[in-house]
Amino acid sequence: MSSTFTMPLGPVHVALEEPVYFNLTVEGETVRRVDLTSGHVHRGMEAMATQRNLIMNTTLTERVCSLCSNSHSFTYCMSVENVLGIVIPERARYLRVLAEEIKRVASHLFNTAIQAHIIGFKSLFMHVMEVREMMQDVKETVYGNRMNLASNCIGGVKCDVDRKLLGYIRDMVAKMEPAVDEIREIYAANSMVLARTKGMGLLPRADALRLGVVGPVARGSGIHIDVRKDSPYAAYPELEFESIVADGCDIHARTMVRLNEIFESFKLIRQCCDRVPDGPVTAPMRQIRTAEACARTEAPRGEVFYYIRTNGTDMPARLKWRVPSYMNWEALGVMMRDCKVADVALITNSIDPCVSCTER
Amino acid sequence: MQDIIPGDARIIEGITPCCTESDAIHHSIDTYGNAFHWFRLDTPRLLTQAAAVLHTAGARLAMVTAYNRRQLSEPMQEICYHFEAKGTVYNLTVTLNGQWPTVPSITPLFANADWHEREMMELYGIQVTDHPNPRRLFLDEELDAGILNEAVPLSIMMNGACTTDLWERILKDKEKRP
Repeated sequence: MSSTFTMPLGPVHVALEEPVYFNLTVEGETVRRVDLTSGHVHRGMEAMATQRNLIMNTTLTERVCSLCSNSHSFTYCMSVENVLGIVIPERARYLRVLAEEIKRVASHLFNTAIQAHIIGFKSLFMHVMEVREMMQDVKETVYGNRMNLASNCIGGVKCDVDRKLLGYIRDMVAKMEPAVDEIREIYAANSMVLARTKGMGLLPRADALRLGVVGPVARGSGIHIDVRKDSPYAAYPELEFESIVADGCDIHARTMVRLNEIFESFKLIRQCCDRVPDGPVTAPMRQIRTAEACARTEAPRGEVFYYIRTNGTDMPARLKWRVPSYMNWEALGVMMRDCKVADVALITNSIDPCVSCTER
Repeated sequence: MQDIIPGDARIIEGITPCCTESDAIHHSIDTYGNAFHWFRLDTPRLLTQAAAVLHTAGARLAMVTAYNRRQLSEPMQEICYHFEAKGTVYNLTVTLNGQWPTVPSITPLFANADWHEREMMELYGIQVTDHPNPRRLFLDEELDAGILNEAVPLSIMMNGACTTDLWERILKDKEKRP
């Protein structure tokens, strides 16, 4: 008799809000092999994009992902600007970075909170979500929405942020910073958190390179990869910030990368508030020719890549994108090698997965 | 003023022999000075050779796009492979032949091509030869490859919603099965 058996987990899952199905081959409590089945929430969005005009697609792409929503419309607009040869105004470049970093803080805090939830540390979960709520308030006050900011448009930004609101953002960041610092301290030192995260879900640097993972998952395994640094866009070339890299290769390293990145985002938000120049926020659209172009940005989860092909009409001939999670799923096979069944949810959460954007 | 477009000479020189047609190579730059290099390969078979050049230079596969130049419902005609090395994007475009679009697999070189190639097989009906793991990614095994790319006339869709024709056909098909 074989000593292994298969254990189904999902598609409706306690740790994730989205459906993904794991087929675990287990030997006692130990996972020996992971097979992943997805495709439950394929929405056919790429086909939809070719049936809408360029402006309508800004709204569509913002709905690819919830936590990275701004990064999608941002990258989509960049790809359209590249294909049409639009140069966006300086003020818009700063305002785009501002919205992007506000979203990054909220996204990283959400993932960190869910980690506490999976560990069973309910009070910490509540606390992190409460701190995150301040960023949600910022989004609601400045952009009018708590999730999809609808800030980007082709040629610039839709929402001009006035001096009063910039002051408000600065005040909120000042209020949040000590609170996030406290949270970082808990994740770095609390024995209950460390017992579940330190040395767990290992992704060695060589495997991370081989699988081409991106974002905090790659940076937690010691790979220097950050589109904001590698091919700077918008206002990033003029702003000072560090790219956070850790070499622990475990869940803990990935969490610390995210938490430390929040402080870099605070730095960026402050610099944007201080330095944003006056002027127009949009540039006019040019004639649409037959051409192709790419664009890439660093979303909270890693590199987002867009490809657009125009055919002279206002509807794209092809619009294709690749989300960071798409690259990171396969790393779970390495991370879960010989882990305990009880850690599967926690390891899955450490790649900050997004199913709906993977399947589009 | 002539802008200087940055790029890795080893990669560009390595891929150039695979693109002999006129206008097969062009280079572009965005407003932030980030470079994009575009190569159109002579045949899909050359993909392995060009990908090997990129692999040796330490490039990373970022995305693969299959598309066609005419109607949504027709077979895919071109595939563009997007690679990134040191902040620069290298795009390899291959033209597929007619009704039986086939490309060699690059998964042996780039492990992360796995999902992209499986997606091409099932969503766009492209044959990928020598793929080490040709299982379904999103679609169920029972569905035909490339089915989502087919345009279904509205009248047939409405049949499913307001008549019993579709269900009778499914039941008949079920009886036929051993």
